Amino acid sequence: MHESRRNSEAWQALMAHGDTMRDKHLAGLFADDPQRFAQLHREFGPILFDFSKQRLGQKTLDCLLDLAHEQKLQERIQSLFSGAVVNQSEQRAAMHWALRLPAGAECSVNGEDVAALVHAQLARMEQVVQQVRSGQWRGVTGEVITDVVNIGVGGSDLGPLMVSEALTDWCLPGKSPLHVHFASTMDGSQLSQLLGGLSAHSTLFIISSKSFSTIDTLSNAATARHWLEREMGERPGLLGCHFLGVSAAANRMTEWGIAPANQMQLWDWVGGRYSLWSAIGLPVALAIGMQAFRELLAGAHAMDQHFQQAPFADNLPVLLGMIGVWNTNVMAINAHAILPYDGRLQALPDYFEQLEMESNGKSVNLAGETVDYATCPIVWGNVGPNAQHAFYQLLHQGTEAVTCDFIVPAKRYLEEQHHASATQLVAQHELALANCLAQSRLLALGDAAVEGAEQLPLNQRYRGNQPSSTLLLDELTPYSLGALIALYEHKVFVQSVIWDINPFDQWGVEMGKKIAMDTLAYIRGDGAEINNADSSTTGLLARIMG
Amino acid sequence: MHLDVYGDTLCALVAATALASSGNNVQLHVPEGNVAMQLARRECPFREPGLAEMMAEQAESGRLLLCTMQTPPHQASTVVWLALSPDALELAHAVVTALPTDRVQPWLVVNQSTFAVGTSDSLQQALSARAELSDTDCAVVSLPDLLIEGNALQSFMRADSWLLGSEHLWAQNLVAELLRPFNRRRDAVMVMSSREAEFSKLAITGMLATRLSYMNDMANLADTLQVDIERVRQGMGADKRIGDAYLYPGCGFGGLSFSRDVMSLATTLQGSGMQPQLLDEVLRINERQKEVLFRKLWQHYGTNLRGRRVAIWGVSFKPETSRIDNSPALKLMEALWAQGVEVHVHDPRALGVLREWAGERDDLVLHDDPYEAAAGADALMLVTEWKAYWSPDLFRLKMSMAHPLLLDGRNVWDPDFMKQSGFDYLGIGRR
Repeated sequence: MHESRRNSEAWQALMAHGDTMRDKHLAGLFADDPQRFAQLHREFGPILFDFSKQRLGQKTLDCLLDLAHEQKLQERIQSLFSGAVVNQSEQRAAMHWALRLPAGAECSVNGEDVAALVHAQLARMEQVVQQVRSGQWRGVTGEVITDVVNIGVGGSDLGPLMVSEALTDWCLPGKSPLHVHFASTMDGSQLSQLLGGLSAHSTLFIISSKSFSTIDTLSNAATARHWLEREMGERPGLLGCHFLGVSAAANRMTEWGIAPANQMQLWDWVGGRYSLWSAIGLPVALAIGMQAFRELLAGAHAMDQHFQQAPFADNLPVLLGMIGVWNTNVMAINAHAILPYDGRLQALPDYFEQLEMESNGKSVNLAGETVDYATCPIVWGNVGPNAQHAFYQLLHQGTEAVTCDFIVPAKRYLEEQHHASATQLVAQHELALANCLAQSRLLALGDAAVEGAEQLPLNQRYRGNQPSSTLLLDELTPYSLGALIALYEHKVFVQSVIWDINPFDQWGVEMGKKIAMDTLAYIRGDGAEINNADSSTTGLLARIMG
Repeated sequence: MHLDVYGDTLCALVAATALASSGNNVQLHVPEGNVAMQLARRECPFREPGLAEMMAEQAESGRLLLCTMQTPPHQASTVVWLALSPDALELAHAVVTALPTDRVQPWLVVNQSTFAVGTSDSLQQALSARAELSDTDCAVVSLPDLLIEGNALQSFMRADSWLLGSEHLWAQNLVAELLRPFNRRRDAVMVMSSREAEFSKLAITGMLATRLSYMNDMANLADTLQVDIERVRQGMGADKRIGDAYLYPGCGFGGLSFSRDVMSLATTLQGSGMQPQLLDEVLRINERQKEVLFRKLWQHYGTNLRGRRVAIWGVSFKPETSRIDNSPALKLMEALWAQGVEVHVHDPRALGVLREWAGERDDLVLHDDPYEAAAGADALMLVTEWKAYWSPDLFRLKMSMAHPLLLDGRNVWDPDFMKQSGFDYLGIGRR
């Protein structure tokens, strides 16, 4: 067994510094230094990152960056961006960054012009998007397609869904009205509800699955296909008019019946949870148009450049990641809340849950050994103003320490379509902004933020000292959203380097699927008894089978 | 009386001619365009019984004088007659605003143009606002165009009814005086407010559009139920409560007076938050109907149209006009192009405007000869029922087409005869 990371010099120094910080209260830190915000925030592009409400000081940053250097973060970033095999357990590169390269960029990996591959697929996407948005994609009976249903799960669902909702103000009506829907759950509950309100003649399905073998997605796809055949009869051309496929497995798409002209490709070097930038993002492009989709890519690409080039002390992903390490490993805080103060970012917490927990929710290091330190915290969240009526009670007065990321755009409702009711809506956004700032202040300062708090009974007092970061966007645009998502992708990578784990595999989700197949065979009556079933499983099965 | 008529519509020509024929001196101001050019060549742009002759006669007599929009109203004129095209609202405002303020008598503006409901009010405001105090008595009245095409002149000179929307008694009396020669059998002028008159026109157009969309809906059902809509149409028309007008199914109606802009409320009234619901649906059904021939073609060729060649006969929104505003043919062509189809078009009059609309493109070929357009085609679509298309040389047609497939968007051909002649025939609800 090689030596634990915890014994390294920089880690030890960080821990020793931690001992001097643990007793300090954020109220005191702010009182001691009126310049605290000036020193502890950074800006890049449309994003202002304020970490002055974290329980740290300049010395902390020094220690954290020492650790990053010691763990060779710079080399690892280079390795990521060179297309090296950074996903050892699956022997793959992780080149989601290549999906956002500008046209004509030079990027050759193993002799292959990756940028050209990517832009060829973007061009195919553009054709489809143009045809659909101009009201000229036709169903098998010649009707104009008015509804698109994305069938996918995990990365093929959360990313496109989150971005489509976030950029709803960019869904300007095309030539004909177009509605984009999402169906993911394997029990078919979303799909069955959707189909009830749609016309088969004017509905197009996107079957989105990197492997094209995900059972959740294929069972939904089969249901959709039967529905079309039932509604319109089995006509020649039915599949060609009503199904698009997005996958890395072209032959499986063909086997299923997706016409080659309707297939869009991604590559095994794109992880599912990093794939919204590829053709997996087709529902987004359909909703907001190709130009806005390209702006989304441009925002992410700008963050890629920043991550590679900016000195660590000004590098947003590095700082965000290292501050997470500080909270997890030094402050021993194991819960992290994502709190957007903008209803359009409703699905962002779900998306970050997958990005962080599926990437770094691991306990074996790259050498195959069990780690002896904490890794990814529990990540959850909700739209902030709604969460205020749900779990903020625990944040303010519970026994758990929780770190929070507040995410909010400074300006809103500037778009033309809001013109008529802009005054009222802007007033609502101001209300949300005020709440965002008030909550992070109260969480940090506690009673110090409340005049005359000492007079109050204990159950009305605030402990404070809950650390948080605020990510203030100028505006929520395709560009700023692209940059924001890429920021968190790279943050996750930074942490994986410090924790010495592979953020690009997900072995923990495999075995359950296998066991489910045995169980399914038994439930359907064409399998033997399940081996070594526990009494709970047999008891539940007995009740299900009646 | 001296009066000034503005417009290039059938209504403008009919009103100017009829008013001149009863002894008035009329200056007809025609906006630049095809109609103006034809009139300058002494041609009559509309085929209406008696119109050409009477126009020539009145011009000869000197009572009907052709002039431009810029020509000022006659010195002695205090009556302006607007019969502009539905998309010429700005022109109407320009005319009204530019009226001289030096007349002893107040101006009377008679609006026969089909604009959105509420337009007369805004014209009245523009008219009153243009001079300080001096002639606040000036009046805009609404006199909706109810001409029956094919019998236009008669339907003006012996109208069954006039809807006159007026807020001023003197204006109402003056209009009655102008119409007196055409209003002898009985008083056919019904007086109401100008908004009511405009709304009546909207309701009439809307009812006609509704009948058409309803029949198209029925025809599409007939297609799936193996029923011949032609028999159904005759059966319906025989019922006196329904009557047989406006029951012909087809591939959608176009033209400006059926457009969404016109069949709505003027901007000033939209604050009420109300929009007609049935009418919206009627127009939506019509937009969909414009693609009915495309859908039939798409299904006939099993969704595979790339590289095919399609001929279209007729692109004007109705026969006997060169206008293509909202014509079904336009929507049809866009659908065909999007699937990689090469479109060959014949139209007796509208090719010029079509070329302007479409611009230069490889997948559009214009033909002066209908048979040349159809040569080598995988399908022939009849979209506008110009009379010359009703009895084509079928032998020649069949020999020259690549596939003898006829898509009859106006149900002018007989399905059985066409099938006997060796064609695949698809009509609107025909079998």
